[in-house]
Amino acid sequence: MLNHILRRLLQAVLVLALVALLIFLMLRVVPGNPIATMMGEHVDPAVIERMTSELGLDQPITVQFFRYILDAMKGDFGTSYSMGKPVDGLIRTAFPNTLILALCAALFAWVMGIICGTVSAVRKNSVLDRLFMGFSLLGVSVPVFMAAMMLQYVFAYHLHWLDISGVKNWKSFILPAVALGWNSAGSISRLVRSTLLEILQADYIDTARAKGRGQAGVLIFHAMRNAMLPVVTMMALQLSSLLSGAVITESIFAINGIGRLAVQAIEGRDIPLLQGTALFSTALVILGNLAADLLYGVLDPRIRKES
Amino acid sequence: MHNILEVRHLSAGFSARKSEVKAVDDVSLLVPEGKIVGIVGESGCGKSMTARAVMGLIRYPGRVISGSVLLDGRELVGMPEKEKRALRGSKMSMIFQEPMTSLNPVMKVGRQVEEAIRIHEKVSREEAAHRSVEILTSVGVPEAEKRCLCYPHQLSGGLRQRVMIAMAMILDPRLLIADEPTTALDVTVEAQILQLMRTLSSGGTGILLISHDLGVIAQVCDHVYVMYAGRIVESAETAELFDRPLHPYTRGLLNSVRSLRGGGDVLDTIPGVVPNLMRMPAGCGFSPRCLECREECVRDVPRLVDEGDGHLIRCFLYEGEAAE
Repeated sequence: MLNHILRRLLQAVLVLALVALLIFLMLRVVPGNPIATMMGEHVDPAVIERMTSELGLDQPITVQFFRYILDAMKGDFGTSYSMGKPVDGLIRTAFPNTLILALCAALFAWVMGIICGTVSAVRKNSVLDRLFMGFSLLGVSVPVFMAAMMLQYVFAYHLHWLDISGVKNWKSFILPAVALGWNSAGSISRLVRSTLLEILQADYIDTARAKGRGQAGVLIFHAMRNAMLPVVTMMALQLSSLLSGAVITESIFAINGIGRLAVQAIEGRDIPLLQGTALFSTALVILGNLAADLLYGVLDPRIRKES
Repeated sequence: MHNILEVRHLSAGFSARKSEVKAVDDVSLLVPEGKIVGIVGESGCGKSMTARAVMGLIRYPGRVISGSVLLDGRELVGMPEKEKRALRGSKMSMIFQEPMTSLNPVMKVGRQVEEAIRIHEKVSREEAAHRSVEILTSVGVPEAEKRCLCYPHQLSGGLRQRVMIAMAMILDPRLLIADEPTTALDVTVEAQILQLMRTLSSGGTGILLISHDLGVIAQVCDHVYVMYAGRIVESAETAELFDRPLHPYTRGLLNSVRSLRGGGDVLDTIPGVVPNLMRMPAGCGFSPRCLECREECVRDVPRLVDEGDGHLIRCFLYEGEAAE
């Protein structure tokens, strides 16, 4: 088991290094001089040249890359061109907002997804099933920006229950969390429903009933744990992508998180900031995958490695 | 002798497109105390459905249409689900064909064995665990304490079936239904499991053994019911049935598994296949495949008549004789 974890960790580091290289190369092949963009149009070329050499952008690309990697390993992602502040500091300030938003969205998605999916499976083809599956279908098919604006329109503009945007208190996270989590809730509930329907046909369900378990007991002690295997994987993957920043949701609701930071970096040709946010998001996704993988081993004894 | 299970005129099936399809048609059978009673027949003849009907475990949309099932004199058909649940696992229990898929893959074996105790009795975990080790040992699971901590996939097929039997027997039920308990096992393990069944029945448990394998039936059963297309076509003491098979179907079955003594190189087969439930013949279910089929066989369903000594037979070849 320990061996397995170590091997997976090593793989994760390798993937991270590869992604770092890719991000670095992609940002170099994008046309346009970032310094010129940063300085504006009517600037003396000599100034641009001085700036370029000061930031080390005139060095050979390999030198730039290794400097970037070495600095990154020390936790230094450079200084943002557009904001003039260290990138790691900017990420650290933005991350709590993203974290809260992601956790709220995930919580909404998991609770709704599991409840709707389970009820739908147990009461297959009932009115509730149709209702929940309709809700899920909407969730997976309506784009986030659309859902976000509809929610703003109904709950903020019309009903005045919540603020349209900005972060004031915990209530500010309700609309963005629902907008962001709806999609995940939809896919989770559909997965829970189909998995559970399949598992309820399994032979060991008959065995449990033959022992005298009632419907609730069968569901809780036998069906749910088996049904959770694929669902947990999906939840872990979704959480990691939620954590890496919701670009659209954060922009629409004016939440200063990682996603919004990335948008600002792109708009300002802010290479260090963009590299920093991209690398950070990648690391979170890789961690999420790793967690899903390990969690699967804990839940399913069949894939646990014999030591 | 006291009958633990008494099934009377049981019909079960599905409602499909306005018509009713009977997978089990007017089945009556008895399981006396301490006896092993077999139901033999091809796949789809309704034997598993009969077993599930007794346990009240027919899967939706199937259901019991009519008839009666008495367990120790108590009527099970129409009994509220809650009361039936109290009997399942304690007074009657069932083991299934596939020991590979009939155990919950993510639950330790010990937990699954003791589950029935925890459902039906108020005992501590330690007590339940202790009793599950005891029953596992008694059904021949070596190092039972260690096996309790295993997951099903870590055990062999034979051990898993023993676990299934332990699970079913832990509360010492009056009736054990075994649906093809040895079909998925190899022959040496099969012999051990059958031996175990015999031991259990000598303890007073009535066993209803369902199989398509005449060899298995011949080895352990005291009485046999032959089922075809949802109906019982012949019923007799095991020795009587094998010595003097009457129904053309039973004779066909026996001819197709002739023993080492039997001469020919080529095994006999019964031509044709089991009829589709949706297009059941109007008369005797076996008539389309029967070599001795007569006009009346196609038209009417023969009655189950006694040929003497409780040897029951449902065939026009004998109905006339019995009437005379």
